[in-house]
Amino acid sequence: MLDSQPQRAAARLLSWIEDEDPRAVAALQATWSRTGNGYVIGVTGPPGAGKSTLVDCLAVHAAAQGHTVGVLAVDPTSPFSGGAVLGDRLRMNGAQQQGVFIRSVATRGHLGGLTATTRYLVNALELLGCDLVFVETVGAGQGDVEVVQLADTTVVVEVPGLGDEVQAQKAGILEIGDLLLVNKSDRPGADRLAQELLSAVELGEPRDWQPPVLQVTAIEGTGIDAAWDAIVDHRAHMEAGPLADDRLARQMHELEQQLQQQLFRDRMVTIGDKALRSAAERVLARRSDPFSAINRLAN
Amino acid sequence: MGGKIRVLIAKPGLDGHDRGAKVIARALRDAGMEVIYTGLRQSPEDIVSAAIQEDVQFIGLSILSGAHGHIFPRVLELLKEQGASDIKLIAGGIIPDDEIPKWKEMGVTGIFGPGSSTVDIVDFIRAQSGA
Ligand code: B12
Ligand SMILES: Nc1nc2c(ncn2[C@@H]2O[C@H](COP(=O)(O)OP(=O)(O)O)[C@@H](O)[C@H]2O)c(=O)[nH]1
Ligand SMILES: [Mg+2]
Repeated sequence: MLDSQPQRAAARLLSWIEDEDPRAVAALQATWSRTGNGYVIGVTGPPGAGKSTLVDCLAVHAAAQGHTVGVLAVDPTSPFSGGAVLGDRLRMNGAQQQGVFIRSVATRGHLGGLTATTRYLVNALELLGCDLVFVETVGAGQGDVEVVQLADTTVVVEVPGLGDEVQAQKAGILEIGDLLLVNKSDRPGADRLAQELLSAVELGEPRDWQPPVLQVTAIEGTGIDAAWDAIVDHRAHMEAGPLADDRLARQMHELEQQLQQQLFRDRMVTIGDKALRSAAERVLARRSDPFSAINRLAN
Repeated sequence: MGGKIRVLIAKPGLDGHDRGAKVIARALRDAGMEVIYTGLRQSPEDIVSAAIQEDVQFIGLSILSGAHGHIFPRVLELLKEQGASDIKLIAGGIIPDDEIPKWKEMGVTGIFGPGSSTVDIVDFIRAQSGA
């Protein structure tokens, strides 16, 4: 087994970040200059597409190339109980055996959005020496957008047999994917799906990076070399130019989000419940209209 | 604020009886906890290293094969070696009643056999976590 002390420290920091514990802020402030060395690969796609299985393959492959790999596997929190069963790790035995640090993350009801919190989770893995971090998220609209906010390279996983859903999703997929993987190519319909995706890419707006469409069978480890090579190509493309601007834009967006939240929180505290209550009473009694009440409260 | 209770549920060895583990995983989720389900065929080393990475407060082992006799001591030993004895070990499945005092003395915090109520298990975990 690996020396667990640095792992324990990193694992605890990850928990503080997730719990929005003030100790996370102090720890990140003290170590900020040592973070930022990780390249983030987002992996998204519908539930059951084989994302975890694929991340396992890619993580093992990357570790064999000399990378120190970390994995953040995000699954949804139950809106009813606030709990979660996190099952991605189940598929990541290979990576676990290679000493890859894997952390299961529940979406919770993060105030700052998944992006801000997950970004700090990446930073915590960087402190552990990870230079490559895979972030697996379930592709369900919002989640897709967020992973793009976070990732330097976004991999979209699709599978044959989902029928019309894929049709409907295609536009979105093409916009966010730097690499489109058709997994479960051992199943019928994979060739056709790959063909469809490819023609959709070719018919779309020409871009300076055209997302390759590749077929893989994660469960057998087939096509992983080619998928990894495509990731490396995209990284090279990004590092030759767009990456710096991209990261700046993302950092601005994150700061904006968090600033908004903090300003909002601070202001709400200053205004206080009492003022809010008396404003509500006045509005209800028709002694004030809501628009003037809001103006008065805000100024 | 306040940390979430996180629990790793694992099935060590070749034991394929996974109903109980799944029942427990769902019950803990429904009680608002985060459950990391690692599935079948986990070695004690896998379990302890996963527990450390996941920063769980509890490792829950489900063993119906009779293999608990060597798995409990090994997991406890690894936790100690890794300076992680604050992670509490709980277990369920087929564990003979007359052995339970022995295992508790050795450091297994709680043992729940067939027919245990999931409400009791949830309450026990909450009490043990200090939440
Ligand atoms: C269903 C069953 C099977 C199913 C399993 C299906 C599955 N996917 O789970 C099948 C048919 C596949 C099967 C196969 C075998 N079985 Co079988 N099986 C059972 C049986 C009848 C019920 C188990 C069960 O699912 N119970 C329902 C669940 C919900 O209960 P539970 O697991 O006990 O969980 C509760 C508690 O124990 C506790 N708990 C459980 N885990 C955890 C974990 C934590 C953290 C906590 C807090 C609590 C907790 O909470 C749960 C809720 O109360 C038991 C007998 C019995 N009455 O237990 C035999 C039994 C377990 N099987 C047995 C045997 C021998 C086998 C086989 C080797 C062959 C055979 N002779 O049939 C194979 C081995 C399979 C393998 N690969 O491991 C023996 C084990 C003997 C032993 N330990 O000494 C038993 C005890 C039967 C017997 N009396 O001989 N089995
Ligand atoms: N037939 C087939 N099944 C696969 C393949 N990859 C993964 N699976 C299976 O698909 C199921 C879901 O895989 P998982 O990785 O958990 O998907 P995720 O929900 O996208 O993370 C599991 O049962 C896998 O074993 C594949 O290439 N072919
Ligand atoms: Mg998954």
